[in-house]
Amino acid sequence: MNKHHPDDELLLMQAAGRLSAGATLVVSAHLENCPHCRARLATAESVGGVLLDQIDPVMLEDGAFSRTLARIDAQAGQPAAAAARGQGARPPLPPGMEWPRSLDGCDISPWHRIGPDMRWSRVGLPQHPEARVFLLRMGAGRPLAAHTHSGREVTQVLYGAFDDGRAEWQAGDFDEADENIHHRPQVTPAGECICLVALEGPLRFDGLLARALGAWMGI
Amino acid sequence: MPTPDQLAAWISAVANPGDRVAFASLFRHFAPRIKAFLMRGGADAALAEELAQESMVNVWRKAGSFDPARAQASTWVFTIARNLRVDYARRGLDGAREQGGGEEAEELTAELPDTAPTPVEQLAAGQVEQGVREAMAKLPEDQALLLRLSFYEEQPHAEIAKTLSIPLGTVKSRIRRAMESLRRVLGHLQP
Repeated sequence: MNKHHPDDELLLMQAAGRLSAGATLVVSAHLENCPHCRARLATAESVGGVLLDQIDPVMLEDGAFSRTLARIDAQAGQPAAAAARGQGARPPLPPGMEWPRSLDGCDISPWHRIGPDMRWSRVGLPQHPEARVFLLRMGAGRPLAAHTHSGREVTQVLYGAFDDGRAEWQAGDFDEADENIHHRPQVTPAGECICLVALEGPLRFDGLLARALGAWMGI
Repeated sequence: MPTPDQLAAWISAVANPGDRVAFASLFRHFAPRIKAFLMRGGADAALAEELAQESMVNVWRKAGSFDPARAQASTWVFTIARNLRVDYARRGLDGAREQGGGEEAEELTAELPDTAPTPVEQLAAGQVEQGVREAMAKLPEDQALLLRLSFYEEQPHAEIAKTLSIPLGTVKSRIRRAMESLRRVLGHLQP
């Protein structure tokens, strides 16, 4: 089992439907391969079920039931609207690596070079243009410029591993960072690393050049 | 108050053979609770009414995907109402209707691979809800309050921390302790 998982607060927010679309996507990528966290999420969702059962009911308006039936009849025969699944061309991955299913339906840009042995790709969520999600792909031993965050940053390691001085994150691991964390992630020497990242506020890079780069990438 | 087994049986009857009497029973139980739940979160009565009806339309449409072995009826209905509320917050009423209540979140659960059962999955679905209900009743009030606020309120936890005049770190640690208590109780229920 992986070592690093979303914390209870994050899973509770996902269960309550309070997490941004971008963060939900990254947490979902983690859940795909983590039965441990799926069970934790199920427990958090059952809190919602219990609260729903325990609340003092508020009566609906007269005729609400027949109006609901009328809506059902109006939709009868129509298959449930399938979410649009624009599966466009996707950038190449290292041999053996598979796309997380949570990215189905997302628009994934080609790899853009942003430095030596360092590439990124924007992940567009068709229903949520405001979401800032991207893939970061860096070669063995490459560091990312030191930075802190102005909001929640969630990361799922899809391939390889990195170390940021706090710990080592391997494929399948999940990380959450915020304005209290200042770090300089560095890919481990063993091989390249690909991460799926969602940001809820811009990163704050220490260096001017890195800041200009960050602005260009829109992060 | 219907038992969880009764609620699950009604959902199954709605799925097959489209039993409207069973649906009426589900409507009587859940629609006023969904309305109350949404009003607690700040929705006005008209909007809560609208979304409660729409949630019940989705209960009808999705009843076939309900698996009583994997989910409890109340939790399943909660996730339907939750997804609709999320869609409404992002795209307004028409967006919520178009989406039929957040296909994406539900697809996620539907598509998750079957793997070795985890501790909670070994429990019958009804046992989980019952265990969580009992564990929640025993939580210290400061932890129970944060669980309720997390589900009812529109505010992020940082805002809840401000309202309660406690640091965000305290909000997070109370939530962690609350969830640990729930898992401990569920762990004891394991066969």
